[in-house]
Amino acid sequence: MKQEMQIILEVNDQAELFYEDAIQIGDHAAYVLKARHRSQMTGLENVAESALKVSDVLDYVKRQTARFSYWRQNFPASEDVNNGSGSYEIFGERLKKYLEDTLAGMRDAICKDKLKINDKSEKERHLRRRVYLLLIRQFLRQVVIQYEYRVSFGNTKKGDNAHAVPGTATNAVRSER
Amino acid sequence: MPSPEQLQTLYDLSDNELYEGAVAFLHRIVDEDECMPLPASQVAGLLNIANASSYAELDHFIRHQLERNWSESKKDIKVFYTELDKELKDIKKKYLSSFQLVQTGKSVKEVNQETDELMALLAHDFIQHLMTENMFLLAAKVDERAKRR
Repeated sequence: MKQEMQIILEVNDQAELFYEDAIQIGDHAAYVLKARHRSQMTGLENVAESALKVSDVLDYVKRQTARFSYWRQNFPASEDVNNGSGSYEIFGERLKKYLEDTLAGMRDAICKDKLKINDKSEKERHLRRRVYLLLIRQFLRQVVIQYEYRVSFGNTKKGDNAHAVPGTATNAVRSER
Repeated sequence: MPSPEQLQTLYDLSDNELYEGAVAFLHRIVDEDECMPLPASQVAGLLNIANASSYAELDHFIRHQLERNWSESKKDIKVFYTELDKELKDIKKKYLSSFQLVQTGKSVKEVNQETDELMALLAHDFIQHLMTENMFLLAAKVDERAKRR
């Protein structure tokens, strides 16, 4: 129980560190998927929440990238309201790399330095997989929240607003133009 | 039916060995052997077999595909199945013995059945990783071709 609590605390600490990255990738998602492909984001979140393996999430990202051209669009810096989110990488590749490289690095750091878990025994390998999955779930939750925020209230250039009703923030922005 | 402990071991193997192994396998075929990724119809067929069959049936299907008399334009498919056959045999050798998935104290028939079930799961995961990487590469090639036009 003590170790489980420690894992949750460490993952939450890391979540503070990758928040900015989640914002950027969430903005990229909003730019390419727009509101009409919301199911792609809910699907991704559902897969991550129910996955038993990290590779199931990575396979899902690759499959969607292969199937849908909007997963293969980059995010031109000129369209970027946050200065810095822009990327010449396609969305699916960018997300895959983040999950595969950056979050794997965070898992290694947490396991080695904080939790003192290596990968010598079966039990330790299970724990490493659990830490990795928790990091991915936390990160994708943040990405999805930013995506929702951006398509609902953000710049319509990016979000193709689906909830535009009289009096909402987006319509107010439109009327000012 | 694999035990919960065996399943946990399989999940770790899938994440730590099979995923990277499948990506490396495909890139070896495409980059070094200069073969095309597997066409979509073959992807669908192989995935269906891997999802629904025992390992013996999957092995039979792969052998059938590699022994077929493919035309010159489809010889990459023969290379793919020949290499896949070798790779699955390697996986069986490496992981069934070194990870001690098969418990001792069982009859030969029971051990064979357990081996078949575990190999079917390992092969299923390997092929799933392989086919998603294949789809990913195919899409990249389609985009590349479109850009060149």
